[in-house]
Amino acid sequence: MSEASRREVRAGLEPALARLWRYALVLSRARDAADDLVQATCLRAIERADQFVPGTRVDRWLFAILRSIWLNDIRSQRIRQGGGFVDAADALTTDGEREIEMNITASAVLRAIDRLPEAQRETVLLVYGEGYSYAEAAAALGVPIGTIMSRLAAGRAALAKLK
Amino acid sequence: MGDDDAELVALIDNELDESRRAALLARLAADEWLRQRYEELRRTGAPLAASLDELLTQAPLARLRAALPAEEPPRQQSRRSSGIALRDLAAGIAIGILAAGGAAWVALSLGLLRERQDWRTAVVEYTNLYTNETFSPLNPDASLQAIELRALGARVGVNLTPESVALPGLRFTAAFMLSYNGAPLGVVAYVDSSGAPVLLCIIANDAPDAPMRSERRDNLSLAWWSRGGRSRLMIGRIPEERAVALAQTLEERI
Repeated sequence: MSEASRREVRAGLEPALARLWRYALVLSRARDAADDLVQATCLRAIERADQFVPGTRVDRWLFAILRSIWLNDIRSQRIRQGGGFVDAADALTTDGEREIEMNITASAVLRAIDRLPEAQRETVLLVYGEGYSYAEAAAALGVPIGTIMSRLAAGRAALAKLK
Repeated sequence: MGDDDAELVALIDNELDESRRAALLARLAADEWLRQRYEELRRTGAPLAASLDELLTQAPLARLRAALPAEEPPRQQSRRSSGIALRDLAAGIAIGILAAGGAAWVALSLGLLRERQDWRTAVVEYTNLYTNETFSPLNPDASLQAIELRALGARVGVNLTPESVALPGLRFTAAFMLSYNGAPLGVVAYVDSSGAPVLLCIIANDAPDAPMRSERRDNLSLAWWSRGGRSRLMIGRIPEERAVALAQTLEERI
């Protein structure tokens, strides 16, 4: 089983890279941190491939690893160092210096997502970007379904204010 | 309003159980304000999904792929508590991919390739996603170039070496595999002096032999020809004559 696990994990990494990076960017709101987070996730996934259950979804497993690294390592480390991420304005629409080329609607929506609290951003991404059901999102984030509902409602309400 | 929003959004997302759904539908039938709010919230769905898709296109895939760890990562390194001191892995450009047994099959998450009937159109679409930053950081040494090209050549059935694909004014950065409708599609990525990507694509599509042709699409120049059941394509944001000249240089060699 461990050989099958390793094969599935290894094969699942590359197709998931872009989506892992998007999740990392939405969490960290910093492109350099997103790169690091994806790399750390891939490394840990290979290291712990024996724990993956063959036949289950590799991408969801990778997402859980990424989230764990974010919460336990990277975010806490940045906060310890006094850096934090709170002042990175418009992190989803700029690379720190330049505006990223995209259409006006996407840019406005991403700015609105950018301003949401982390828990809302993450929930919006998992449900509307990754197709998690409410129950799956609740399980992944360790919160009641009612919390998922209120986070999504807050996210959509913020977007509804855009004209 | 907050509770109403949560219920309305759950209705939009088809996540309400039957009794709550029926109750909310009954309220909607009787309450115009609630109907307006439902519509406001519902309208956010499409732009939200499109914007999240947009973020996917920004992922620095070449860099992330290049930093994938090798088949068996050094255990002591991966146990480091910080978990983020990983930039040094980037030095092992593409080795992780190669160690896995050949050039990588890249599953483009955008689904572009499956939807296009014309492989050149598919190539144009993904080339449009590449920026000057996509390949510039990659700088494999000669031995790694040879390994990548040999692996790619084996997949598309063409003998490729660093010498045979060397082009004037362009620097080799990476060789990787895609597929188009099940046909292996190899890509040799170069950058010019400004970092702009120029690609040589080779697809094993059993196409009949055809002489070189060229065209402009979007801001890209294309020059392509077919021989021996393989089609080749040079593509980049370069003048059309330059694409043809590069293609002619390669036509004699590969």
